[in-house]
Amino acid sequence: MQTKILLDEGEMPKRWYNIQADLPRPLDPPLHPATGNVVTPDDLRHIFPMELIRQEMSTERYIDIPDEVRDILTLWRPSPLYRARRLEAALKTPAKIYFKWEGVSPPGSHKPNTAIPQAYYNREAGIERLATETGAGQWGSSLAFATGLFDMECTVYMVRTSYDQKPYRKSMMQVYGAECIPSPSPRTRSGRMMLERDPDTPGSLGIAISEAVEDAASHDNTNYALGSVLNHVCLHQTIIGQEAKQQLAAVDDYPDVVIGCVGGGSNFAGLSFPFAGEKITGKRPDTEIIAVEPAACPTLTKGLYAYDYGDVAGLTPIMKMFTLGHDFVPPAIHAGGLRYHGASPLVSRLAQDGVIRSVSCYQNEVFEAAVTFARTEGTVVAPEAAHAVKAAIDVALQCRETGEAKTILFNNSGHGNFDFSSYEAYFAGMLIDYEYPVELIKESLARLPVTG
Amino acid sequence: MTTIGLIVNPIAGMGGAVGLAGTDGQVAEAIRRGAVPRASFRAAEALRPLAGRGIRFLAPAGPMGADALDAAGVIGYDVISLPGETTSAADTGEACRAFIDAGADLVLFCGGDGTARDVLDAVDRSVPVLGIPAGVKMYSAAFAVSPVAAAAVITGLDSARLRDADILDIDEEAYREGRFAVRLYGTARVPYIPGRVQGAKAVYEEADDERAKRDIARFIAEVMVPDTLYVIGAGSTTAAILSEIGLSGTLLGVDLVRNKEIVARGADERTILSHLDGAAAARIITSPIGAQGFILGRGNQQISPAVVRRAGGPGRIVVVGTPAKLAGTPALYVDSGDPALDLEFGDSVAVVSGYRIAQRKRVASTVPITTPR
Repeated sequence: MQTKILLDEGEMPKRWYNIQADLPRPLDPPLHPATGNVVTPDDLRHIFPMELIRQEMSTERYIDIPDEVRDILTLWRPSPLYRARRLEAALKTPAKIYFKWEGVSPPGSHKPNTAIPQAYYNREAGIERLATETGAGQWGSSLAFATGLFDMECTVYMVRTSYDQKPYRKSMMQVYGAECIPSPSPRTRSGRMMLERDPDTPGSLGIAISEAVEDAASHDNTNYALGSVLNHVCLHQTIIGQEAKQQLAAVDDYPDVVIGCVGGGSNFAGLSFPFAGEKITGKRPDTEIIAVEPAACPTLTKGLYAYDYGDVAGLTPIMKMFTLGHDFVPPAIHAGGLRYHGASPLVSRLAQDGVIRSVSCYQNEVFEAAVTFARTEGTVVAPEAAHAVKAAIDVALQCRETGEAKTILFNNSGHGNFDFSSYEAYFAGMLIDYEYPVELIKESLARLPVTG
Repeated sequence: MTTIGLIVNPIAGMGGAVGLAGTDGQVAEAIRRGAVPRASFRAAEALRPLAGRGIRFLAPAGPMGADALDAAGVIGYDVISLPGETTSAADTGEACRAFIDAGADLVLFCGGDGTARDVLDAVDRSVPVLGIPAGVKMYSAAFAVSPVAAAAVITGLDSARLRDADILDIDEEAYREGRFAVRLYGTARVPYIPGRVQGAKAVYEEADDERAKRDIARFIAEVMVPDTLYVIGAGSTTAAILSEIGLSGTLLGVDLVRNKEIVARGADERTILSHLDGAAAARIITSPIGAQGFILGRGNQQISPAVVRRAGGPGRIVVVGTPAKLAGTPALYVDSGDPALDLEFGDSVAVVSGYRIAQRKRVASTVPITTPR
């Protein structure tokens, strides 16, 4: 029985899959934060290159991956698909557990799958510098890596708690030649405003996004890059799910259950959209697709499906998505990459339509699952990826109860080699099981007048 | 240079060793039963690691401070008062006021709950305090876990943060009769050093208590719904909720609020029940009390089992607590007086600890469970 299912470089997908082509109804359009009008490509031109704007709005089913991008992706792609036989044995489950291993990329996660094309399209448009935000640092180090390859400058606003918790992520950005600043910072107007309001704030992705957008909008040679949430980011990540589908086909399998963790939603989208597309179009209607979130920030599980800002300062377009409110600063959980108040509009729509479902988990049970995984499969996963591990284990254990031999596929989005202080805190019993007090919130929201 | 005012209650703890439930008003009896003063020894234990560290000590002469400093080998301290032969709460007050005048950074006291109350009376929240445990009862949250731990907190004072600590008033008469009658006496400011495990020091957990209280209050104010009766328990965290909505309640009592107006202040059980009778819906907001973290049963007995049931059961209770306070209480306790009700709380409870943030905390049993064999 095979442990790793590998593809040749020549078998790497040549096109990204755009799920917008298969949505029964088009996405609700993003709105301009100042006017409330539908956003036009022109509105986005001061922060994004036109090709990415085109991809953002495209409804073509497939979009070609440029050769130069594919060439760089071969540094680690196609990524391996693993059959987690030792984990299966430890769980005594009849289920088959597969995981797509994205930790093989140089920065150690799925993030460069979109960092490379984003840097590429910006350079093609004559942009010299990119500004971005990062939560746990996986995105920041990936964009640093990508901009370095294209001789561009890069400034990363890193959420302050993560900046303190994960010092080696900053070092990695430095190695790749990028500048990394703890957010909120005094460098931007939004950052100064937040610091003035709350000098001790732990920061959040929402705040860091405001800073990076402001930086890009106020420098002519600079554009903004977002590591998740947006349609074009989800698009670039679909290389993961397309490879996985080919790899499973090679062993004559197809997943019954597809699992990924959700912060903004891009790694989840990357693995699941190719399967979600086949579910929507009726080709494979029975696939169960599960998004896993932290109980501290359960956007899809406990949030509202509504128009909201993507950032704290209200500089981004207003998007229809599941949200906990753009002013929500999630508690300082160790899965920093999942501390986002909203979720990708595409993922949100699929959740709203019942194509996917979501679950949420506490920190301690997530780390417990990660430790089980490390002790069977060897890899120490990032706290974000550990959420997917937890849900996969839960499904496998249900299979043990029911005796079903389901095929489970999850996205192992990155390694945890920079997260040992989090593991240390787990073993020391210092991890707090945060949760979102949804009952109180819903009780008060229930009294709000319902508006269109 | 750090300046520390030291006060020792020489008779603290004497009652305990000879089977008295406390020493208040019982010194003669304790001595008759053969009790020996021990507080000075406990204080010296805490002071020994601090000798020669450049700390400026202030203390009353004799057994109320200077003796312990001598025993610990601290030299060159300042004597700030000369108490009489038999020491009293008045002596404690006088010494504490002298500490404040001399610019003390911390009042270090050695005793039990009674001493903590005397110190709080004198310093209130103007100066942080820390207790060296030496009393019979130490339910208040101002004590270090041991004399040596008190020394560790003081040597790390520069990096310590301040948090609120409940000072409790236990009725010794009732206690001797086996009843546990307690009320929240006040809250002191206490230095606290969070765990030093690397990486566990998430910035947020260490953030100042006052800020956390404001965040909790802002959130609760936001989720308060019209026409619901809010039964708001004792403590500074719940008091912050009232001040957030522009009200001032009783810090140490139970206040009733409806439509963001006070309907009863310092309510007793009967008053609460009568208001609940006319209420369409009710919620109880409490903060864990004391060093052990009691949701019910300590410091808020007005919120009786009957009150909880009439409000709709444990599900109608909103527990609030700051991250610093929760970090010091690994589990919470319920001791409402009705064991069946206590069980309805289940294994865990969500405690609101910030703006739209809660922590899931274990609820520990107060009753030892014996398995029938």
